[in-house]
Amino acid sequence: MEVEGALPMDDKAKRMRDLLSSFYSPDQSIPGSPPHNTVSRFATLDTINTTSFDADQYMNLLVQKSSLEGLLQKHVEMAAEIKNLDTDLQMLVYENYNKFISATDTIKKMKNNIVGMETNMEQLLEKITSVQSRSDGVNTSLFEKREHIEKLHRTRNLLRKVQFIYDLPTRLQKCIKSEAYADAVKFYTGATPIFKAYGDSSFLDCKRASEEAVSVIIKNLQVENLKVKLFEKLKQFLVDLDLEYNELTNVPVNVDESINPKSASTTTHEASVHEFAEAIRAYKAIFLHSEPQLCNLGQDLVKKHFEAIHQQIMKHVRSADLLAMLRIIWTDVLLMDEVLPEASLPDFALQHARVAIKDYTCSTFSRLLMNISDTLKKYQFTVKEEMEEEYPLRAALEASKKSVIQGSMDALMDFRLLLDENPELLLKLRDLTIDWVHEGFQDFFRKLDGYFLLLSGKKITAFQDVNLIEEMPGEKISAGLVLVLAQLTLYIEQTAIPRITEELASLSAGGGVRGLATDPAEICRIFRSSGESFLHLYIKMRTQKISVLLKKRFAAPNWVKHKEPREVHMFVDLLRQELDEIRSEVKQILPEGLTHKHRRNNSNGSTTSSRSNPLRDDRLLTRSNTQKARSQLLESHLAKLFKQKMEIFTKVEHTQESVVTTIVKLSLKSFQEFVRLQTFNRSGFQQIQLDIHFLRTTLKDITEDEAAVDFLLDEVIVSSAERCLDPNPLEPPVMDRLVQAKLAKTSEQGGDEKSK
Amino acid sequence: MQGGSTGIGYGLKYQARCISDVKADTDHTSFLTGTLSLKEENEVHLLRLSDGGTELICEGLFSHPNEIWDLASCPFDQRIFSTVFCSGETYGAAVWQIPELYGQLSSPQLESIASLDGHTSKLRCVLWWPTGRHDKLVSIDEHNLFLWSLDTSKKTAQVQSQESAGMRHYLTGGAWDPHDFQMVSLTCDSSVQLWDLRTMKKTDSIDRAHVRNVDYDMKKRYMLVSMINDQETTGTYCLLVEVTAEDDSGIHIWDLRKLKSPVADLPGHSHWTWTVKCNPTYEDLILSAGTDSAVNLWLASPSIHDHSVQDSSLTSQNRTEPLLNSYNDYEDSVYGLAWSSREPWIFASLSYDGRVVVESIKHHLTR
Repeated sequence: MEVEGALPMDDKAKRMRDLLSSFYSPDQSIPGSPPHNTVSRFATLDTINTTSFDADQYMNLLVQKSSLEGLLQKHVEMAAEIKNLDTDLQMLVYENYNKFISATDTIKKMKNNIVGMETNMEQLLEKITSVQSRSDGVNTSLFEKREHIEKLHRTRNLLRKVQFIYDLPTRLQKCIKSEAYADAVKFYTGATPIFKAYGDSSFLDCKRASEEAVSVIIKNLQVENLKVKLFEKLKQFLVDLDLEYNELTNVPVNVDESINPKSASTTTHEASVHEFAEAIRAYKAIFLHSEPQLCNLGQDLVKKHFEAIHQQIMKHVRSADLLAMLRIIWTDVLLMDEVLPEASLPDFALQHARVAIKDYTCSTFSRLLMNISDTLKKYQFTVKEEMEEEYPLRAALEASKKSVIQGSMDALMDFRLLLDENPELLLKLRDLTIDWVHEGFQDFFRKLDGYFLLLSGKKITAFQDVNLIEEMPGEKISAGLVLVLAQLTLYIEQTAIPRITEELASLSAGGGVRGLATDPAEICRIFRSSGESFLHLYIKMRTQKISVLLKKRFAAPNWVKHKEPREVHMFVDLLRQELDEIRSEVKQILPEGLTHKHRRNNSNGSTTSSRSNPLRDDRLLTRSNTQKARSQLLESHLAKLFKQKMEIFTKVEHTQESVVTTIVKLSLKSFQEFVRLQTFNRSGFQQIQLDIHFLRTTLKDITEDEAAVDFLLDEVIVSSAERCLDPNPLEPPVMDRLVQAKLAKTSEQGGDEKSK
Repeated sequence: MQGGSTGIGYGLKYQARCISDVKADTDHTSFLTGTLSLKEENEVHLLRLSDGGTELICEGLFSHPNEIWDLASCPFDQRIFSTVFCSGETYGAAVWQIPELYGQLSSPQLESIASLDGHTSKLRCVLWWPTGRHDKLVSIDEHNLFLWSLDTSKKTAQVQSQESAGMRHYLTGGAWDPHDFQMVSLTCDSSVQLWDLRTMKKTDSIDRAHVRNVDYDMKKRYMLVSMINDQETTGTYCLLVEVTAEDDSGIHIWDLRKLKSPVADLPGHSHWTWTVKCNPTYEDLILSAGTDSAVNLWLASPSIHDHSVQDSSLTSQNRTEPLLNSYNDYEDSVYGLAWSSREPWIFASLSYDGRVVVESIKHHLTR
């Protein structure tokens, strides 16, 4: 029914729809765009909400597609929807209408408000006008008084100026009295324009008085100027003098060759100093109260002298030159002192001389240290490049010995000269100087010791000398150099220090007031201990190398599966090589000691008696059932163990034999310890036995303490027997044969080098 | 031999290398020691110091199948200990239990609790968790580190983790950090390595050649003492700050926080320094044993020794000599050393000839 009724309403409905959709619909751009044919073709029931909705088509479609029941339902649905839409529409219209009404109300209200505003504005204008008129009134009433005040103020200023003019003469006098000339001049120049204008009339008296004062001022100023100028000239003089002096100090280097330049320069110098002194004398006479300035001047002179000396000291001047310079200074000082006693220049000079001498001693000793370290370093660096020198170590030792003793002696000579030819200046410093020399030597030896230790690679935090530390070679020191150091310290302890102490004693005997500051025993002690430590270090370095050798030897083969020994193992050669090197180093450096080769025989006498460990002997005896001869040998060696145990690690002496023996002993002990960590089969044991047998013949010639070495060799064999699963020794003839073969082979290989 | 034998002696039948304090025995001061004999039957001796401290009594004598290279006592059960042994080429390690004695002295059979199998190269040592009842064990062979979990009641041991230190490093021994239970330090040819057991990774190392043995100081948190054999290629460490021994000096003391250089050096022995032990109670007391047949007692306060021994002879007089005493009364190299944890002024030493000597250092303590 409604569908039918919809047709006449079509136009109205369409307008409504357009309006509504133009208001609400987001897709305004689309309307009507889809062409009709497409609509009809693709029309579905969903098109009801689009703009291209065609009611007829929709109806047809609906009728075609739906059943009756469906149609009825659709009808109900649609009726409800339409009703809803109508209600919505109504609401919409109502709301919009409401808004419009409220807008109208607002506009009305605005109109009413604007009417009242105009009257308010008029009132405001009125009030502002009245304020303006009142302020004008105030202004006019105050104007008169203000002018009056301004007038008064001007008058006052004028009066003040007049007062100033009148006061000017007295003020100027005051300034003259207090020598504030600058202020006086300022005042006067300020007043000059007034004097020019009115000077002839009202201020005549004032002008006259002021002019008088100013003339006094001018005079004073001229004198003052002169003084300053003169003083500057004096200063200039001093500078010139100094330049001359500098030239002079360069001259003394040639003193020995030609006396003329020296005397010439000295005379010119003396003349100029004379001149200077005279000038000062004159200046002092002319101007009173000028002493402090002059004193400074004199002290400057002395200071400059000593600065020059300091520079010379830095350049390693010799004591004779130092003396000459000091002498010149002293004559200058005396001259000046005559003229200017207030400056107490001699004391001043003395102070500086003290510093200079101290500097001199310090620099002498540090130079000495440098020289020695240079000598040693030269060896350290050349040793790798040029080995053609036959005894490089010995040469290094001799050179450093020489540099120590010669350097010290030279230094001493210098000091002696300084003390003997004493100018008056140094006479007062004599005792101090002697003390310094003592201290210097003590310090020098300490530092030398420190340097040696540093060189040998010991870390010393207390050693302060930064210079030397910086110069430390980065690489490790060679063992040979350690040996050189060891012997050098010994030499210093035994020869150099006593000799230097003697010299020092004679030095201070000449006028020594104080006792010896040096404690030679203390220094000797230091050197002795470091000498020992160097020797130990050498031994350590060497044994370490051998130990590495041994370690490799024991790490390599599987000792439990060792093959039968065919020859002496080649590690023995390496060992011998190592020992040969040590011997050649030792020979160069260390003295031969007394030989104690007979010790063994002595101890052999008592071997049987010493058996302190029955347990072990028992064990040996059980073994000896099978190898009687061998074990008896062991037994005797064991006996020796207890007899000579204390002799294994004896004190090392500074002799060739002692050092080599110690190294051999330590190496053999290591050998033994390595053996104890292994387990051997029979062949392994035999190999060790063979190696030891060979070593025995080799080591015999080298070492001093044959008994101990022999004992240690035996110990190695005993140890390896203990660690052997089946200790069955080689027959002596077999061993001998193998050793002989080895000997023949080595002599064949290195025939010339091994020939002793 | 002039030292005057103040110690109490006890002779083992054969040569021996290792001795251990029985920590768990709180009633007596006792030590365990094992022999090292290639051909004879080896023995483990349980020694007790008599109440007066005048005699060493053999509490038990047990036969052990192989020669013993390392022996460590369990920290929580006095009847349990571990050994590292060797027979010919093969090495092994085991945990043993001493059987109940019931009065009779010799009950020769040890009960085996567990065998620590699985090592492929030479075993070096077995370490117990430092203190208290704990099931962890560490065993060290030439190249590897094993962490075991041990169940003493079930008599089983299982590998918890294992790690290789690399084929280039030949490990020689180690010590368990008593302060930080996750850390152990291992010694090898060229360094001391610090390992973290949680990650089984190397956390740090001290590069020093020839380290032989290490020990930690019980008191000072960060001290590690290590030793390197004096003259030569091997070294010993004792972890105090950590004591290591190396080429130019026998014993080194390290601060674990500053591993660059040792805080103190001690001269060590005239031949190799084999082992070092820090006293469990008294600070800075270090005992070292060497192949020069001597045991040295040191008092090393690192603050004093931060400068070289040779240097500044002027100050040397007012410095205390670090060597307190040297016990020379041995006839062979001393390899075994143990402080008693019950009476910390007593130590036992074992020389290679099988002689146990117990000494008291009480009179040194008073000074």
